[in-house]
Amino acid sequence: MKAEDLSVLQIDALRELGSIGAGHAATALSQMLNHAVDITVPEIKLVPVSDVPMVFGGPETLVGAVYTRLLGDVSGGMLFIAPRAAMLALIDLLRNREPGTTKSMNADEEALATHAASILTAAYLSAISRMADLSLLPSAPAFAFDMMGAILEVATMDIGMKADTAILVLTSFVDERAVVDAVLFYLPDPDSLDIILGRLGIV
Amino acid sequence: MSTGFLSGLSWGDPDANVIHVGTGEFAVAEHPAILMTPALGSCVGVALWDAFRHRGGLAHVMLPTPSESNAEGNRDRFASVAIPHMVNAVADGVAPRRLVAKLVGGAAMFKSDSNLSNVGERNLEEVRHQLDLLRIPVLAEDTGGSYARTVELRLDTGLLVVRSYMYGIREL
Repeated sequence: MKAEDLSVLQIDALRELGSIGAGHAATALSQMLNHAVDITVPEIKLVPVSDVPMVFGGPETLVGAVYTRLLGDVSGGMLFIAPRAAMLALIDLLRNREPGTTKSMNADEEALATHAASILTAAYLSAISRMADLSLLPSAPAFAFDMMGAILEVATMDIGMKADTAILVLTSFVDERAVVDAVLFYLPDPDSLDIILGRLGIV
Repeated sequence: MSTGFLSGLSWGDPDANVIHVGTGEFAVAEHPAILMTPALGSCVGVALWDAFRHRGGLAHVMLPTPSESNAEGNRDRFASVAIPHMVNAVADGVAPRRLVAKLVGGAAMFKSDSNLSNVGERNLEEVRHQLDLLRIPVLAEDTGGSYARTVELRLDTGLLVVRSYMYGIREL
């Protein structure tokens, strides 16, 4: 399954999964943080894996990333990525602070970002697994803050470089003070994407 | 930053002398060209240089051997394939022993996941083994750690310039 082979209906189904996941993640995050955070999915795109670094302006762009491997009925990986400025803004939002307060990432902030990303990933996975009746389990999340290209290469290597298409879920975290855009990449191996779409009945 | 950043899908180096080596590829060139490969994480950048001819090669290897992955694709992404190929291409008839090598990369980008973190180390091991078989000495290394590196090989002096967010610019 390649990006250009997907029909409008199939992309709609993936967008629906994204919205459901985002809704669940927003509820979970709001409970954890004790302040209202909304998460929306304004856009879902399919991009060739080789173009993923270009999404943020090239392989040397400084980004924060959380990688989770998928285990169970389908294989692949989930990569949550926010460029440096968005990552710092996300920390402010999660801590309920004035935007611009966070200037750098320390161990506490890395843990918080990892936590938020893993909630988002788990919510998205549970939406897929419920609608497609598949067992999907996330591995423990791993955090990195460095060049986009280097992070992506580790993730694609981990899933055996079989993923030629990444599903890009643009995700906005919104509270009363700020809007922070980040991206969740779902890197399925091609067979897994077929399995998911097959289970949804839209091959 | 808004949805707009999704549209910026172009990236390139304005310097015409710079030859860009992609992930899992290698390139061979002569002075005044500069060989460059961006964002080495657990991948290893292998630079070869011939001092007499101001000629060299740069490889961006992803995995140690073809036994690591059944997926189709460029076989030069494996150290055990790319290094003999590149040595042949750089030597081009002269004895490979007169080449020298420098290594960069092989980092563990995600520290907390042990499965992910040893790929870099295994890449380095295989690269050193392959160079050893061909009797090519490794003059300098900036390897390991947990940060990404971009490298440039200057073919007039054999200078290897390493850039990272962690340490800025280093010269090997």
